[in-house]
Amino acid sequence: MQRTFTSTRGLAKGLLILLAAMLILAGCSGGNKGGNTTDPGAAGTNNSGAGTETPAAENGEKVLTIANPTDIESFDVHNNNNTFSEAVMVNVFDYLLKNDSSQTKQPSLATSWEQVNDTTWRFKLRDDVKFHNGDPFTAADVKFSLERVAKDSGLKQHTYYKDLKEVNIVDEHTVDIVTNSPDPIMLNRLSRMGADILPSKYIEENGMEAFLKAPVGTGPYKYSNWAKDDRIELVKYDDYFGGEPKWDKVVFRMIPEASTRVSELLTGGVDIVSNVPATDIERIDASDKASIEQATIQRVLHVLMRTAEGSVTADPKVREAVELAIDKQAIIDSIAGGAGIPTRTSVTPGNFGADPSLYDQQLYDLDRAKALLKEAGYESGPKITFTAGSNYKEVAEVTAAMLTQAGFEVNLEILEPSKFSETYNAKGFKELFLLGVGNSLFDASNNYNRFLQENAKGETDYDNAEVEELLQAAASNMDPADREKQFQQVQQHIANDRPTIYLYQMKGIYGVSDRIAYAPRLDEMFFAEEITLK
Amino acid sequence: MRNYVVKMVLQIVPVLFLISLIVFILVHVTGDPVNLMLPETATEADREALRAAWGLDRPLYEQFGTFLGNVVRGDFGTSFHYGEKALPLVLERLPASFELAVAAMLIAVVLALPLGILSAVKRNTVLDLFISGLAVIGKAMPNFWMGIMLILIFSVQLGYLPVSGRGGLAHLVLPAFTLGVGLAAQMTRLIRSNMLEILGQDYIRTARSKGLLEAIVVGKHALRNGMIPVVTIMGLQFTSLIGGTLVTETVFAWPGLGQLLVTSINTRDMAIVQAAVFVIAITVIVTNLLTDLVYRLLDPRIKYNG
Repeated sequence: MQRTFTSTRGLAKGLLILLAAMLILAGCSGGNKGGNTTDPGAAGTNNSGAGTETPAAENGEKVLTIANPTDIESFDVHNNNNTFSEAVMVNVFDYLLKNDSSQTKQPSLATSWEQVNDTTWRFKLRDDVKFHNGDPFTAADVKFSLERVAKDSGLKQHTYYKDLKEVNIVDEHTVDIVTNSPDPIMLNRLSRMGADILPSKYIEENGMEAFLKAPVGTGPYKYSNWAKDDRIELVKYDDYFGGEPKWDKVVFRMIPEASTRVSELLTGGVDIVSNVPATDIERIDASDKASIEQATIQRVLHVLMRTAEGSVTADPKVREAVELAIDKQAIIDSIAGGAGIPTRTSVTPGNFGADPSLYDQQLYDLDRAKALLKEAGYESGPKITFTAGSNYKEVAEVTAAMLTQAGFEVNLEILEPSKFSETYNAKGFKELFLLGVGNSLFDASNNYNRFLQENAKGETDYDNAEVEELLQAAASNMDPADREKQFQQVQQHIANDRPTIYLYQMKGIYGVSDRIAYAPRLDEMFFAEEITLK
Repeated sequence: MRNYVVKMVLQIVPVLFLISLIVFILVHVTGDPVNLMLPETATEADREALRAAWGLDRPLYEQFGTFLGNVVRGDFGTSFHYGEKALPLVLERLPASFELAVAAMLIAVVLALPLGILSAVKRNTVLDLFISGLAVIGKAMPNFWMGIMLILIFSVQLGYLPVSGRGGLAHLVLPAFTLGVGLAAQMTRLIRSNMLEILGQDYIRTARSKGLLEAIVVGKHALRNGMIPVVTIMGLQFTSLIGGTLVTETVFAWPGLGQLLVTSINTRDMAIVQAAVFVIAITVIVTNLLTDLVYRLLDPRIKYNG
């Protein structure tokens, strides 16, 4: 038998090489350790976990830490499409005008505004604002920012601003914003994601790529550091035009796993946690460190239906049966932990054009639903395919069960998000599909794009001449009172015709540390200046 | 040996080309990134405009050709999601991934080595059964469950360690342990079976009959040879720890390559997926090469031709 021998030198050499190789590679971790190392002794007013990064650490610094489930997309305000991204941006940049916590427009970088004619708005700008790098804020910055998003079709926010024709500089602190056609919701557009004002001089001199690495804005907090998928650190901007910022540092941490977010809240590692799962509500409320805050958000669950001839749901009785079969409140209570409001419209309070008579109510009548199906000629239920994305899986499952109770034969299809998105854009759904719809424009028009004849083709195939007329008229109606009536009429029609039914408006569930006072906003933004230490 | 290394290096190029082609086809075939980038209210015209802006409307072979042309210059393209160049974004994540991988590996070795040797030496005793049982449990426990349990116990209840994120050494403990335990379970059984084989060899009997202490017999003579397959396994496992640790990274909010890769796949962010797969492929190839070399150093019976 062959003798086995391994020289000590060989073994030692081999192991050393392997270990060295690994250590060299790991040694590159000299960079970017993002965040303070743990220091139990320096903890501020809250520190349960001795090893945690306590927010109020180091020299009594006031640090606000917010935990979100995902990272931001980038600091290019025109190329983001995600409320979590904007929730960070609003602390670094400003709009011309902003929405306060009751969604009323307040001056921000603009002091006043007026409509000069149907397609022109004149804005007077503040003259005492400086960007974080010292450059003064002028009309040129407004022109640069708005024209960029209006003209570059490669930007994700372009679709909301393409009707903006140009921005004319009247003088250093006055601009005229001109649209291609009358735009009743100009003010809404200018106070949302995509309308943040960028520093034209800084970007023209250094280029967009450099700007993205070291962004500069006019907001109360300056960019300090971004460790991707880990955290973003912002520090106080002393020369903020709105006065001295409340916090020394604002940190946004990215924690994808919900239970980990909750654990961080309970150990004092973060101050605010968004997207708390319904199952953790009790745990947080019971804790002496934190409590739950809830607020309605701009998201309504729709069940859209095909109304074209040949489809089972072409019969209005069948569609009515769908609505009557669903106990919306039961879904809210069982799946969403009570965080929702049943609704028969998607234009919820806070949105222009809302019809309060359709909000906070449901039509639930299981017996009538069964009767309707019989009336429609179905002894044994109509076969329907109900599709939903995996993020609304539980809601879809309960809804499908309720429909089955009413006599429908339901084929439930749950799709992975990108597959769902694809089928949605290809208008490939069958009879019913579940959709969570947001509204970042806070205007009814945003909800009804899909029911314009042209857009509804292939999807709901909704075709109501009266609704079409109302929507077309409202699109350029510059009289708010009249426009509101038009939208309210549309909602009544939709509620009766049912090309879609609405389940409920979702509420955001937040875990909030007891050391701070925070009231969640309808638009899900985190304005650090609205959050204070108790 | 030099020829061997050269041959290995030359084989890398066609392998990378093939990988890149497969990734390209898979990402394109499974979905359109533009759909996921735009808000629900975007019209078809908006989507077409975005496609044109990113060059996604050109024929596939042309897109791939452009992509390859850029790759040889080190440019993997720009990420749809971040708007930055893909390769630096991927490389930025490597330190975090390596840190976690090395720590997990260390924990795995520290746990598996003594346990494996012990169970081999005390074969078929209660201790052996106990350790084998532990190994089975360690392998069966799902990563995310273990991670969440560790957080609940050590961070929330006891407050000894931070919950999540990357920071100092304290932040590394729980995630590395979560990963390391699964690895250790595998390695323990491997070390055990290897040691058993070696301990049955003639030369071990010789060493014992020479009157050497059992500790020396096992620790010096048997272990050296027993380490060979362990080193191989370490090399192979290391590669799965880069980019394959999504679940642990998610639970502990660890900013590693796994998270980036999976997010990019979900959003069909071609540039990042390509760059990440490339980097992982190179890591795998280099690690395998190193492991091969070390293996050969350790065991002179192995000769590589050429």
